[in-house]
Amino acid sequence: MHLKFSQLSIASVAVCLVLSGQTFVIATEKEPVSFSRDILPIFSDKCFTCHGPDNAKRKGDLRLDDRESAMKSGDIVPGKSDESELVARITSHDADEVMPPPRHNKKLSEAEIGLIRQWIDQGASWGRHWAWEKPSRPAIPMAPAEFAARNPIDNFVAQKLVANNLKPQPPATKQQLARRLALDLTGLPPEKTVLTEFLNDQSPEAWENLVEKMLASPRFGERMAWDWLDAARYADTNGYQGDGERTMWPWRDWVITAFNNDMPFDQFTVNQIAGDLLEKPSREQVLATGFNRNHMINGEGGRIAEENRVEYVFDQTETVSTIWLGLTMTCARCHDHKFDPISKKDYFQLFAFFNQTPVNGGGGNGQTAPVLDMTTPAQLEAQKKASAAYDALQKKLIEKEKQLREAGMTTTADGMYATKLPVIIESTLRKGIDGRPAENFKALEEYYGKTEPEYIRQLSELRPLRQKRDEAAAKLTRVMVMADMPKPRETFMLTRGTYDKRESAVQPAILSAFVPSGSAVSQKSDKLQNRLDLARWLVNPENPLTARVIVNRLWQMLFGMGLVKTAEDFGLQGQAPSHPELLDYLAVEFQSPLLDSRARPWSMKHLVRLIVNSATYRQNASAPAELWAIDPENRLLARGPRHRLPSWMIRDQALAISGLLTPAIGGPSVNSYQPPGIWEEATFGFKTYRQDHGPALYRRSLYIFWRRIIGPTVFFDNANRQTCSVKNVITNTPLHALTTLNDVVYVESARAFAQNALKQPCETDEARLNWLVQQALMRPPTGPEARLLASALAKQREYFSQNQARAEELLKVGESPRDTLIPAVEHAAWAQVCLLVLNLDETLSKP
Amino acid sequence: MLRDSFDKSRALMTRRSLFGQSAVGIGSAALASLLTSDSKAATTLQGLPHHSPKAKNVIYLLQNGGPSHVDIFDYKPELRRLAGQQIPDSVVQQARFSTMTAGQTNRPCLPEITKFSRHGQSGATVSDFMPYTAKISDDLCFIKSMHTTQVNHAPAITFFLTGAEIPGRPSMGSWLTYGLGTDTANLPGFVVMTSRDKEASCGQIFYDFYWSSGFLPSMYQGVKFRGGGDPVLYLSNPAGVSREARRAMLDDLAALNQSHYEEVGDPEIQTRISQYEMSYKMQMSVPELTDLSNEPENVLAEYGPEVRRPGSFAYNCLMARRLVERGVRFVQLLHAGWDQHRNLNTQLKVQCTDTDAPSAALVNDLKRRGLLDETVVIWGGEFGRTPFLQGKIEETKSWGRDHHPYAFTVWMAGGGVKPGTSYGASDDFGFRAVVDPVGVHDFQATILHLLGIDHERLTFRFQGRDFRLTDVHGSVVKGLLA
Repeated sequence: MHLKFSQLSIASVAVCLVLSGQTFVIATEKEPVSFSRDILPIFSDKCFTCHGPDNAKRKGDLRLDDRESAMKSGDIVPGKSDESELVARITSHDADEVMPPPRHNKKLSEAEIGLIRQWIDQGASWGRHWAWEKPSRPAIPMAPAEFAARNPIDNFVAQKLVANNLKPQPPATKQQLARRLALDLTGLPPEKTVLTEFLNDQSPEAWENLVEKMLASPRFGERMAWDWLDAARYADTNGYQGDGERTMWPWRDWVITAFNNDMPFDQFTVNQIAGDLLEKPSREQVLATGFNRNHMINGEGGRIAEENRVEYVFDQTETVSTIWLGLTMTCARCHDHKFDPISKKDYFQLFAFFNQTPVNGGGGNGQTAPVLDMTTPAQLEAQKKASAAYDALQKKLIEKEKQLREAGMTTTADGMYATKLPVIIESTLRKGIDGRPAENFKALEEYYGKTEPEYIRQLSELRPLRQKRDEAAAKLTRVMVMADMPKPRETFMLTRGTYDKRESAVQPAILSAFVPSGSAVSQKSDKLQNRLDLARWLVNPENPLTARVIVNRLWQMLFGMGLVKTAEDFGLQGQAPSHPELLDYLAVEFQSPLLDSRARPWSMKHLVRLIVNSATYRQNASAPAELWAIDPENRLLARGPRHRLPSWMIRDQALAISGLLTPAIGGPSVNSYQPPGIWEEATFGFKTYRQDHGPALYRRSLYIFWRRIIGPTVFFDNANRQTCSVKNVITNTPLHALTTLNDVVYVESARAFAQNALKQPCETDEARLNWLVQQALMRPPTGPEARLLASALAKQREYFSQNQARAEELLKVGESPRDTLIPAVEHAAWAQVCLLVLNLDETLSKP
Repeated sequence: MLRDSFDKSRALMTRRSLFGQSAVGIGSAALASLLTSDSKAATTLQGLPHHSPKAKNVIYLLQNGGPSHVDIFDYKPELRRLAGQQIPDSVVQQARFSTMTAGQTNRPCLPEITKFSRHGQSGATVSDFMPYTAKISDDLCFIKSMHTTQVNHAPAITFFLTGAEIPGRPSMGSWLTYGLGTDTANLPGFVVMTSRDKEASCGQIFYDFYWSSGFLPSMYQGVKFRGGGDPVLYLSNPAGVSREARRAMLDDLAALNQSHYEEVGDPEIQTRISQYEMSYKMQMSVPELTDLSNEPENVLAEYGPEVRRPGSFAYNCLMARRLVERGVRFVQLLHAGWDQHRNLNTQLKVQCTDTDAPSAALVNDLKRRGLLDETVVIWGGEFGRTPFLQGKIEETKSWGRDHHPYAFTVWMAGGGVKPGTSYGASDDFGFRAVVDPVGVHDFQATILHLLGIDHERLTFRFQGRDFRLTDVHGSVVKGLLA
């Protein structure tokens, strides 16, 4: 059950929840009803459909999102709930009278009606939705000494724990903490030397020292980049039919570097949204704007260019809204937002900022200008040559195929056209050469093999030429970036978001509800605003959302769930924060740090440091059964974070533990292992998967080529990289188990891991198993674990010693060489134990 | 709010009550035996079904590309009478077409490409390209007045399967498994299989968002069974590892995880133990599913010559029957082809032949096994094709028809569907649905209704809004119900 604190911590009586047989007292103190916390969510959920911000759908001229309008109606009489028409209507037993009308399936509960009565009786004070108010630095509450608070985060958490009669868990072990921190901050287990230093460091600053090492590691930028890439819908192809390739990886590398250099988040924002509009922008600043060009491109025949273009601008508008503002804007494409103060006009004013690029929406080129050209002359030359060679041969073949098709034609008795050729041959010839899939080439070879040897010979030459042409073209790196046309494009509101149904014209403007009157942004009216104005407003201290939204997503990354559970929606229908003061504290501290004199404003590293230095983060994740039952999602933070690692991190961890990992950072994306036929089946043979070999196979997951219509199969529960996604999804299915038990990368990692184990100077199996568990979990096995592992090893030994050939087979999985001096049976048995260890719940989870 | 919370926590509670809490403290051997008992994988949502259901399962044979209704099911003598003449403006009005014909001002009527005749007691009109379908026409309900709003393939399919033309909403199969759970613990509740015409005549791609669970929990996402290799990705053990060796390893893994659970207390560890066990069971149930050795030869023959080729439409139809037989709730087939812009003469017959016998065999097979009463079978495309010609009338070699959303035909059969019926009608040209038009949301509402679901009440809260399959539209088409 989801605890909705805003509604549970209310009221003058104890609110009890019965869950799994447990009675759980949330709050008992007497508090006045708060409009924004207690009443507004009810109005939004149950009433705004007809009595909210949407002008077109409003009924009975009553508006409950606006104080003046609500009071003017006379439906609410402050202090007198019995005389208020609103109360009469929501408590009516007459089906024609009662609100909300029964057909809406939105009946108010007794508790909700009680709250509304109390609120009116207490004077019907008004307020705005919490997220629309600029956060201010809250006073730091006291925490009981026994809670051992380490920084203000713990004080805020303590306040809630005390209210719920709970205590924090003690810190996790040093080993667990090192593993947790390394996975969270670098996406990899701690390096051995770093771990040893930490374990031996008896100083009071041992933890801080470790944190600094992690923050200084170049792996930090890689780890942070993953979530940013998910949100920014980064991929290596366009998506949709054709799914052509693009070369946006230099932008991906820019993101890694920015995180590693701790580029302040305000600059990080301005560079990506409007780097091109800065005065004398550097190449890097222009590169950063690739962010907005990561959207899908539709090259489907029959599509209208302008329709595509408008789709792209929708995507840009909504991606920026979700990532920076935590607002879901899509509905305002067609009508005023039903719950949040965003009108359709607001939407298109925001849309207008992005509507100014020279992109026309035509074609499916993944390098559509404006681009930042990063090709070298040699690459260009090679590409021209390869292309010319292909074109020359193709020209000859087109002529020949035309003849073949004509030769196969005939006319039926009733004058209809028909062909004597087999249908597949006719269809293949008719559709031409350029996009021809492999199976159709094969059909031609079979059919004309005997009769047209010269044609078939040329045809067989064509395919390698095509491959060379495509490979040479793929090396030309051109990153799509942003640029505005000199003459602005007019922007119109569109009826139901349809590209050609234009309504009145609008000009670029930021969301009116979030601009305080008299602020610098609102006064600027002498010239048209552009993306740079938008970017600066996003990180303006007056903006109530950005800092909260970013802080919340970082919290989500570290705790598995944000303080605001709906990371994608900070609006009225989103969930209220579990710890509102903590959220505001972090948001303000992020923008104007006071806690650490060295910290710069908007420093991501400062924010990360602050959170991981808290006692809250460092708690043991183990907890008594009652606590798991009371608070399954750990919303109260009475224990440390524990959840399954993201699938990309599970892969990276396996490569690191086994020693296979290739440490290189950045560069073009690579094709690692994938079961055969995935691309071919999804694209009907138009895209052939060409797996890389050697070190490329063991690059970090971040560098794996992401085909948008069919992402790498080794990952699960990941954003699909088609549209913006900021949600953290963790499910638990048998398909995931099959992946980590059977995919080559895990089996090969297990084999390499076993090989390393067998090379350790251990005298006994027990010692070797001990080493093995230590590598994976940073701790030795417990007594019972050691016994179970020894028994597992014995069983696998027994199995492979009876099936020597099978041992050899298993050891052939994966392309890395094996040490053939190690007896196969022994190696295979250990490999199975290693695979088991890689699949332990503890290995798959953050400790 | 309370109901909503219950709904969301249900998945978790179900898994836990099924595998988790009941398994606490027992050894892995006992756990394994517990899991072999015939337990249901996911239970029904509280309050569902809303009314007594007529069917349990759905098999949806989606014909991607847009089958030409006026050549297959919707016979229009007027097109022959006016063959080659401009289709009247009064019929076309302001209709919008794809960019491929939007600029074509000449729109000559193109009569049916082959002969039609009447079949069965019901006298259904079916073209002679579909002889097997014609034979079962008394079991079918033809909706002749289907219409949609979308004119391009991907948005039109997305609309049919998710209720919205923009990707991101849950697919029908996800909604149904979310609402009703499944009757199998060994197979996914929502299975997807794709195929395309042998001639690779069209370039349509099957996007994974067609079977996405959208904002529903991802356990309700369609699982795609592949046409080649392992039907389910990563199903096979690594080379050299036998089923027994895997069993031994999983037992030890479960025991180690159990001991970790006792220390940590996280119920998710219990779920993990059960999911690993389930993966082992799938390794058996999936090969059993695809093992055709016990299928009688005459049954196989009925599905046609392609039935043994994994990845063919015929093979997928047979699998569909085997899946619902094993308790799978929703089987989504997608078959690409049918997109005859310039090749109606040569291609239409081929596509009909590819799909005719297998589709009819599936209906017959279900019927013989008593499964048709509890299964809804649907056959139809994302739109129809223009009654007028795309291209030039003198270029007989490349006659074709463009996409046509304003009227087309879909057939349904099985549980709760009125058999031997023709419902609604298009105008004399097959251009517009004029009698009892059925929109996509109506069609979806009707399918949910057959499964015992009120389409207005199966909702899910996401981004602050209660979403449903039919958006804010749709009504059950009573005339389709038996």
